[in-house]
Amino acid sequence: MLRKSSVAVAKSRLRTLVTSDRVSCAPGDYDNLCRELYAALSKYLELTEDNLKVDICRTHILITFAGDET
Amino acid sequence: MGEVIVITSGKGGVGKTTTTANIGAGLSQFEKKVIVIDTDLGLRNLDVVMGLENQIVYNLVDVVEGTCRLKQALIRDKRYENLYLLPSAQTKDKSAISPGQMKKLTSELKEEFDYILLDCPAGIEQGFQNAIAGADRAIIVTTPEVSAIRDADRIISLLESHQVKDNALIINRIRMDMVRKGDMMSVDDVTEILSIPLIGAIPDDEQVVIGTNQGEPVIGMDCNAGKAYLNICKRIMGTEVPFMDLNSTRGFFSKLSDAFRKG
Repeated sequence: MLRKSSVAVAKSRLRTLVTSDRVSCAPGDYDNLCRELYAALSKYLELTEDNLKVDICRTHILITFAGDET
Repeated sequence: MGEVIVITSGKGGVGKTTTTANIGAGLSQFEKKVIVIDTDLGLRNLDVVMGLENQIVYNLVDVVEGTCRLKQALIRDKRYENLYLLPSAQTKDKSAISPGQMKKLTSELKEEFDYILLDCPAGIEQGFQNAIAGADRAIIVTTPEVSAIRDADRIISLLESHQVKDNALIINRIRMDMVRKGDMMSVDDVTEILSIPLIGAIPDDEQVVIGTNQGEPVIGMDCNAGKAYLNICKRIMGTEVPFMDLNSTRGFFSKLSDAFRKG
């Protein structure tokens, strides 16, 4: 099957919705938040934009990044 | 000392009332004294789902306003010895009672009942505020749909901000045939997003529709939803029960065709 599973679409839409509900911001704001966090963190840590992950949970914000994989 | 459990969802039509009726009937079979309260003022439903609509004399608002004594408003379910219903009022609206009054009522009921189950109205307005006011814990019902899960997330946040923190999730109307095709979110997909403990997963089951038509709970029945509800009751009482393998709910032919597909 070439079609993308509808579950994948549902999950990605849901993540965006839930994230913006949790911080009560517009859907696009999450991307801006990630960019600004990256800008701030990259001053102190060795990061690339790809290995930084920001998860907004109901009670906390989880920032993870993949370090050197050696 | 009893426990007050609110059954809520945010979104309407996901199965709160059916869940309340079945869990109420289920818990009462374990020799627990149970009262189910319909807190949806103006849209009374729980009595109909339970098949007790012809026995209503007084209702929740009458009790709160002191028009009658509590005992006069309670309807005993003849099929389940320990199960009582306090119906809602059909002609009043949400402002007829306050969160404070609900809290007072539930704390009185705790003296006499083991479980007080509150069927919460949809939405997050006063009806919701009333229902959660006296709750010790909450059961959030959702279906594997984007809108229902989104609302469930909002409800969980609101519950937590009102200090109702012992929350558990029921995922209702799961269709394993669609999950396998990648066209319905699985139990894991949903719990991953909502990140609260799962207390039950209920397969989509025709028997629920049939039961609702007849005003009978499915809980004692030999059907998958009935078994799933029974497991939920045991978990509410603190027993650890392994989660049902929903795949085994399939018919013989569907398994056979799977076997061929795998080669």
